[in-house]
Amino acid sequence: MKISKRTFLAGLPPVALGLAGCGKSGDSAATPASTASGSAATGKKKRFAYVTNGVDPFWNTASAGVRAAEKEFGIECQVLMPPKGLVDQQRMIESALARGVDGIAISPCDAANQVGFLNEVAGRVPVITHDSDAPMSKRLCFVGMDNYKAGRAAGKLVKEILPSGGKVMLFVGRMEQLNSQQRRQGIIDEILDRPTQTLEKLNQDPLGKELSGGKFVVLDTRTDGFDYPKAKANAEDAMSRYQDLACMIGLWAYNSPMCLEAAKAAGKAGKVRIVSFDEQEPTLRGIIDGHIHGTISQQPYYYGYDSVRILKDIAEGNRGVIPSNGFFEIPIVEVRQANVQEFWKKLKTLQAAGA
Amino acid sequence: MKKLLGITALLIFVIVVTAIRNPDFLNGYNLQNLVRWTALYGFISIGAAFVIVTGGIDLSIGSVVGLTGALLAILLTKYQWPVPVAIATVLLVSLVIGLAHGVLITKVGLQPFVVTLCGLLLYRGAARFITGDQSQGFGQQFEGLRKIAVSSLPVTPTFGIPVPSILLAIVATLAGLLLHKTVWGRHLLALGGNELAARFSGVRTDLIKIQAYAICAVMSGVSGILFSLDLNSIQPSGLGEFFELYAIAAAVLGGCTLRGGEGTIVGVLIGTALMRVLYNAINILGIPTHLEFAIIGAVILAGVVTDELVRRMANRRLG
Repeated sequence: MKISKRTFLAGLPPVALGLAGCGKSGDSAATPASTASGSAATGKKKRFAYVTNGVDPFWNTASAGVRAAEKEFGIECQVLMPPKGLVDQQRMIESALARGVDGIAISPCDAANQVGFLNEVAGRVPVITHDSDAPMSKRLCFVGMDNYKAGRAAGKLVKEILPSGGKVMLFVGRMEQLNSQQRRQGIIDEILDRPTQTLEKLNQDPLGKELSGGKFVVLDTRTDGFDYPKAKANAEDAMSRYQDLACMIGLWAYNSPMCLEAAKAAGKAGKVRIVSFDEQEPTLRGIIDGHIHGTISQQPYYYGYDSVRILKDIAEGNRGVIPSNGFFEIPIVEVRQANVQEFWKKLKTLQAAGA
Repeated sequence: MKKLLGITALLIFVIVVTAIRNPDFLNGYNLQNLVRWTALYGFISIGAAFVIVTGGIDLSIGSVVGLTGALLAILLTKYQWPVPVAIATVLLVSLVIGLAHGVLITKVGLQPFVVTLCGLLLYRGAARFITGDQSQGFGQQFEGLRKIAVSSLPVTPTFGIPVPSILLAIVATLAGLLLHKTVWGRHLLALGGNELAARFSGVRTDLIKIQAYAICAVMSGVSGILFSLDLNSIQPSGLGEFFELYAIAAAVLGGCTLRGGEGTIVGVLIGTALMRVLYNAINILGIPTHLEFAIIGAVILAGVVTDELVRRMANRRLG
């Protein structure tokens, strides 16, 4: 039997509407559009938007912090996770503005080139940045860690596990983001025994160049474009190319779990050392098992919680909450085998509180 | 087989150049990894070939990989279904997706590009919805099942034959026999060459097309299962992204023409291997990763242009 095009298309709208109704409240797509231009005008709850730079488990923990702040302060905050980077991020921010919000926290995908857009947004509602800063823009402050300092902390973990030095390789999703660049430079400067730089005048080593100093050699920084199979293949290829590779450092949350999978398959788990960032479950388990030496946690829960708290205060006219240097620092936590259980327990409690 | 000379020569050329510049390329561990990745991507390339031979296209391959990978993890870890039931369900879902594509294309008369483009969005959205956009994994469970993707049969102390490559060898043999040695395969090639002529010759073109899309989707499902087991970390918004392009590129490199009616399974395997060898060579030679796409694009283009020129010259001589 041949189905006519008209019959088939007539059946589509109800199906599409049915699907659209399946979203949870609070999801980015589920909140109905409103013509209100902010809660101040309508006298309703304050409404904010918390915009990430992608979809990642890291942001789920930050989202738990947002939810906890929502409950504590009696406000509403949408968490918007753009699946496709910059273009989606811009679209989502514009939609949030159209719906009406009293402030936005943004993790810019490309800080240097988004200044114009961020300033446009800042002209309409208070804007703060989190996770990755855009210091040239008119954002009111930045909530996050000092990525250079975090990089140096990761470098110290490398020195700790390899006191006699060795060859190390860095793995990261993308190098365009400011936080990747600062983190990478912090690691390099620390393990090559270089003096500390400032974020304002950060000299960066070029990519694709072998660097050596002290007892260490930094072989390369390999990127994977957020592609997990590629991230794993990069780690495998590094072990193929350098039989004497001593340490793999994963700069983004998923990098070290992929390095660990590659090391396990090669029978080198625990032999090729791994140092990590963030607190994905496989990373924490790897630390417990002794396959990953340690990780630098950014405490993303507080990225969410403190961003919303600061936005709420600003919206209520309390500008004193903005730090004078424009940087609200979330301290890093170094997680090793000695404190991993305690850290994981606390993380689960925080995630449950924001569920 | 003459059609495969160009691509085979290119594969050998890349292997030889890489091996000369860095002999570590030929170490057992690296070769084992190369064979494993070729196998993992091989399933989707074979699937894509069946559709391309009909003159169609399937843009939803990557999203089906993402959906099936995420679904398997959820069924096993969250709902704790028995392994055989979970795998059968995942494959059944893939089959239904493929049959739906086929029916929409043949019976409703929609363009394959449109149907599978909508599928690309729909299945990616479905994967993100069923997982709540949370990464999935098997944790430390299912180590036995994961061996299907990560273990190998040792041949030398450093080299083993990866299990996925054995699975691919079986599937590729069956696919080769189906495409080249059966009436069904002849009909598939015939309809790709000239659908109207094939239909007037009594070939049930609609049915065969539906079956081709079903094969492609099931291959994507198999690949999704293997990728999820291999990585032990499935990001619903990202796993499988652009895989359809890798699959289509491998199939076209291997001699399938996008006009339909031509293609061999051996060629598809060589095309897949070439793609993986190029990615591997870039890392092994320490070429900066930001040059990766440019190099792969340039090498493939050079290969296809050379192949076309050699073919034209050969035709002229014959003429």
